[in-house]
Amino acid sequence: MKPLRDTALLFQREFIHALRNPTWLIVGLMTPLLYLALYTPLLQKLAGGPGFPTTHVLDVFLPGMLAYLAFMNGVSEGYQTIFNLKDGQIERFRVTPANRVALLISPVLADIAWMFIFIIILVAVAVPFGFDAHITGLLVSLILLALLVMVTGAFSIAIALINKEIGSFAAIVNGISLPVMLLSGVLLPLSMAPVWMRVVAHFNPLYYVVEANRVLAAGNIWNSSVGLAFLVTLGLMVVTFWWTTRVFRKAVA
Amino acid sequence: MSIVSAKMLTKVYAGKIRAVDNLDLEIEAGQIFGFLGPNGAGKTTTLRMLATLIPIDSGEATVAGQDVRRQPAKVRRHIGYVGQFGGADPLATGREDLILQGRLNGMSASDVKKRTEELIDVLDLREFANRKGSTYSGGQRRRLEVALGIMHRPEVLFLDEPTTGLDPQNRANLWVQIRKLRDAGTTIFLTTHYLEEADALSDELAIIDHGKIVAQGTSRELKQQIAGDSVLFSFKNNGEILDKAIQLFKEQSYVREAAIEGEHVRLYVQDGAEVLPELLRLLDKEKITVKTIALSEPTLDDVFLRKTGRSLRDTGPNGKENGESK
Repeated sequence: MKPLRDTALLFQREFIHALRNPTWLIVGLMTPLLYLALYTPLLQKLAGGPGFPTTHVLDVFLPGMLAYLAFMNGVSEGYQTIFNLKDGQIERFRVTPANRVALLISPVLADIAWMFIFIIILVAVAVPFGFDAHITGLLVSLILLALLVMVTGAFSIAIALINKEIGSFAAIVNGISLPVMLLSGVLLPLSMAPVWMRVVAHFNPLYYVVEANRVLAAGNIWNSSVGLAFLVTLGLMVVTFWWTTRVFRKAVA
Repeated sequence: MSIVSAKMLTKVYAGKIRAVDNLDLEIEAGQIFGFLGPNGAGKTTTLRMLATLIPIDSGEATVAGQDVRRQPAKVRRHIGYVGQFGGADPLATGREDLILQGRLNGMSASDVKKRTEELIDVLDLREFANRKGSTYSGGQRRRLEVALGIMHRPEVLFLDEPTTGLDPQNRANLWVQIRKLRDAGTTIFLTTHYLEEADALSDELAIIDHGKIVAQGTSRELKQQIAGDSVLFSFKNNGEILDKAIQLFKEQSYVREAAIEGEHVRLYVQDGAEVLPELLRLLDKEKITVKTIALSEPTLDDVFLRKTGRSLRDTGPNGKENGESK
């Protein structure tokens, strides 16, 4: 199977690249660790209160944090795309007979692999501080987050291919990321928010993933919000992949 | 039978800029074909259409017998491409990069291994083949990129401005490599805005301007069309003197053409050395004092000037080609 072989070849290359650029790895891991270390303590007084039904805030905050990590991982994908446009690598591969979907998807897959490693580290760090880990819930959560990276990664690559410049790309990505994060309930559950914010949040895909991830972290798999999150993410995946493939075929001048 | 053929090839940007305009092209197999023109002339855009990188707006093209519009995937099996930005991976070693390129082109593992070693020798990469791409000098990087382009032994190799940014020594070195490839049977289609490069390297060349081919043939054939030498004058106390001088020159039967070029007057004559004393006598009689004289045999720039009314040298090396500024 040529598409699979091409994907495997390119995945391997992308995965190893991360190791050769350790700054990226260190920063990527430090950000969520800093949130855990410096933000969770701020939530302690809310434990048991509204939005924090459990006794331990980590059980609410960490799953949300992981969803945000996945979101940011995917959204940052386009930076690499722009570098590879500039150094000619995208052109170079497009002239080879390599499978087009493989070219597009392999950096996203490598990102997902690294994200899994990060998540395992983060959970391992959080458990001694009171995080209650449920293995099956966590495994389903990894699948959901992988799908989220696919959606945001494909979206980010398309934006990068259209803009071609780091400056305008970064402006768009930052412009989108902030409201998406604030309206997802990552930092504080939206059950604490006024009604209008909760209404707006329902138009935010990340909100569904954050909600589902909290349910999954508690060990509940057969739950309507989990199903809803999968539905929203898969739907978006179909749309973004259709769009990104089109952009990739046409817009790369 | 042409290995690259284009008929009425057209690319329109932004609905109106005709980057490539009804261009016809036939390239015989086994030669170095040079595509010479100023920046923005449509060289890169043509090359990228033929290499399946951007869609053809109208017209037809075949490369290695395959239809570029309908069968781009088949075309890709027969071509190599080295773009202006190269495409070497800064984070991979040269050897790793070659291996990946071979595998993506569907070569077997054993063939990839053999070919990698072969290219490391041919393009003289041994010394740095196990270092990361980011550590390479400009010339080293270019050599690796050419190796990547020919890894799968393509019939046609597209080189877009291959020597831009290289120092003279590396440029000469790359010319040698390109000729070697041609001698081994690869057809090479290269774009350049360097007159010397087009002149020295191409077996056949086309001059392109505003998306159209204005002249095509061997370098010798093109220069013969000019048939004659050019004499370039500049004078003390310019201004009206230029008009006066040009009037004077035009009255002489042996002057084929005379035109003002900035501060200079350029003449085309059959034999420059023979008529020069006569020209000087004429100017002396009219009390026009000559500041500088340059006599030269025709160059490709003269061909370009004749066909377009502009000099290639004046168009400057730093503009952006239509194709990439889009």
